[in-house]
Amino acid sequence: MQWQFSNDAPIYTQLIQQVKVGIVTGAFPPGERLPSVRDLATEAGVNPNTMQRALAELERDGLVYSQRTAGRFVTEDNTMINAAKRSLAQRHVKTFLEAMLRLGFPKEEIMDLIARELGEEEANHAGT
Amino acid sequence: MLRKLLKHEFRATGRVMLPMYLILLVTAVGSNLAGRGMLDGRSDLLRTLGVLIVMAFGIAITGVCLLAFVLMIQRFYKNLLQDEGYLMFTLPASVHQHIWSKLIVSSVWFIATVLAVIAACLVVAYQGGFLREFLDFLRYFLEGLRKLKVSEAFNGTIYLVEFAVLMFLSLVAFSLQFYAALAAGHSQANHKLLWSVVWFFGIQFALQFAGSLLIIASNNLDLFDRLYFNWDPSPTVAIHVGLLLAIGCVIVYGAIFYAITTFFLKKHLNLE
Amino acid sequence: MPVLECKGLTKRFGRATALDEVSLTVEPGRIVGLLGPNGSGKTTLIKLANGLLTPDGGYIAVCGTAPGRESHSLVSYLPERMAIPTWMTAKQLLDFYGDFYQDFRREAAEEMLDHLGIQPRQAVKQMSKGTREKVQLIMVMSRAAKLYLLDEPIGGVDPATRDYILSTIIGNYNPEAAVVISTHLIADVEKVLDEVIFISQGRVALQSTVDGIREEKGMSVDALFREVFKC
Repeated sequence: MQWQFSNDAPIYTQLIQQVKVGIVTGAFPPGERLPSVRDLATEAGVNPNTMQRALAELERDGLVYSQRTAGRFVTEDNTMINAAKRSLAQRHVKTFLEAMLRLGFPKEEIMDLIARELGEEEANHAGT
Repeated sequence: MLRKLLKHEFRATGRVMLPMYLILLVTAVGSNLAGRGMLDGRSDLLRTLGVLIVMAFGIAITGVCLLAFVLMIQRFYKNLLQDEGYLMFTLPASVHQHIWSKLIVSSVWFIATVLAVIAACLVVAYQGGFLREFLDFLRYFLEGLRKLKVSEAFNGTIYLVEFAVLMFLSLVAFSLQFYAALAAGHSQANHKLLWSVVWFFGIQFALQFAGSLLIIASNNLDLFDRLYFNWDPSPTVAIHVGLLLAIGCVIVYGAIFYAITTFFLKKHLNLE
Repeated sequence: MPVLECKGLTKRFGRATALDEVSLTVEPGRIVGLLGPNGSGKTTLIKLANGLLTPDGGYIAVCGTAPGRESHSLVSYLPERMAIPTWMTAKQLLDFYGDFYQDFRREAAEEMLDHLGIQPRQAVKQMSKGTREKVQLIMVMSRAAKLYLLDEPIGGVDPATRDYILSTIIGNYNPEAAVVISTHLIADVEKVLDEVIFISQGRVALQSTVDGIREEKGMSVDALFREVFKC
């Protein structure tokens, strides 16, 4: 897991995002036990209380669940993981669109640019 | 807690003192051997070597005495008033325990050093018949003691005890004078060592001043005559009184030094 | 009960006032940053909490008692300078801490020393400056204390050592103990802290939580610090 933080948002919300990314990308696979709060905090280099708060929030959302003695586990519910994936994707798209609109691109041109970029990438992949 | 402080204080000082005692022993044995032929031998080389060994013994004696003295000051200064003070003064130990641990350990090394020097001299003097001669001497000495009257033996023993106590207390007070000066000097923000020297001589001066005042006062006011109430002690008793008075004085100024030291370490500690 | 409490705490050095009516509390389970420029009074506050200085006014208590022999057994203190005797070997240092502190977790310390590749017979003076600082921190963090007072633990160390120190602090976190870290290098410690206390010219300028500041001001504590202490 790579942990990176920006300076403009609370750390615990950033932790929530990053653990979500970890779950969606399979760094924390479905049904697997999560490392302890202390280990996760050490790994991310953050305050254990902040990590605890982020995990509690994720638990409320249902992405992780805790078993009294065994610790915290990632949900096995794939629809929930997919929903999280979608919501993360939507956030990326949203910020992307905001940036493009700020640059003054009309919607059609944005679509065009994306299509061309995707085409180039496909060609690159075919080439190698 | 004092026991633990003593343990670590001995550990810190023993690693310096014990090797020095070893050097003393080695040079003493060397000097003994040098005395058996080397010094008055024919070979120039051996003679020179012999002289060098005896010189080394002399240096070792001076060195070991000097070391005990320097270590007494250095342990208090470096361990309590320099960077290590941050560690020592945050241990769950009281200021009194710190002072006593330093005091006891340096006194033990002073006494050990005196014994070591005596032992080293005996080693140098040791010859074939030395042990027998020494035992003979002891026997004469004991016989001489046996001829003494009971009162003489009794008073002699007491003198010895009083003298030993006086020596020991003087040693403790001597250390405490350095501790007091260092503790007081290091409460200053700057020039801590300079202030310590000033304090040392200030204390020295104050003591001598008080002492001379007492003597002048007693001479002028016939203080002692009045205090004695026409008491005319025999010489034997007078020596006891003198020794006990000296012990009392040492205790008084030792206590003053101790009070100064604890006051500054408790209330005006000012580590850099 | 707060592990550290000051009320109207004042300390003067001659005519200069180092701390001026400082009041603050630190609760157990918190990692608190004591932040301020050089000479703002951070070290003075920590020395007072350790009984290395006597206050001129006000009140300071550690776990409900005035700093002294009793509080020393509850506080684990990392001074801003090397205080461990350099002639000692790693093993002698372990003996020393084990003898004087009942809460010293010798196995934990041995494990951390071993992890750094330090031999028990190695003397402190044979170690590099960075290693010495790590060893001193290991000794301090190996105690199960109620309050850790760390004075400039990351000042003047290289980035790798800094990361090691911060992860050692997090790895030894105990919900019943509080950690106070004094520093002026805020960007480096910000993520590790629950709360921050800004000290400016001997006074408390601000006490808040890190995420509270980020939420309200939309900026990092480091950025806020630069704004508050702009020259």
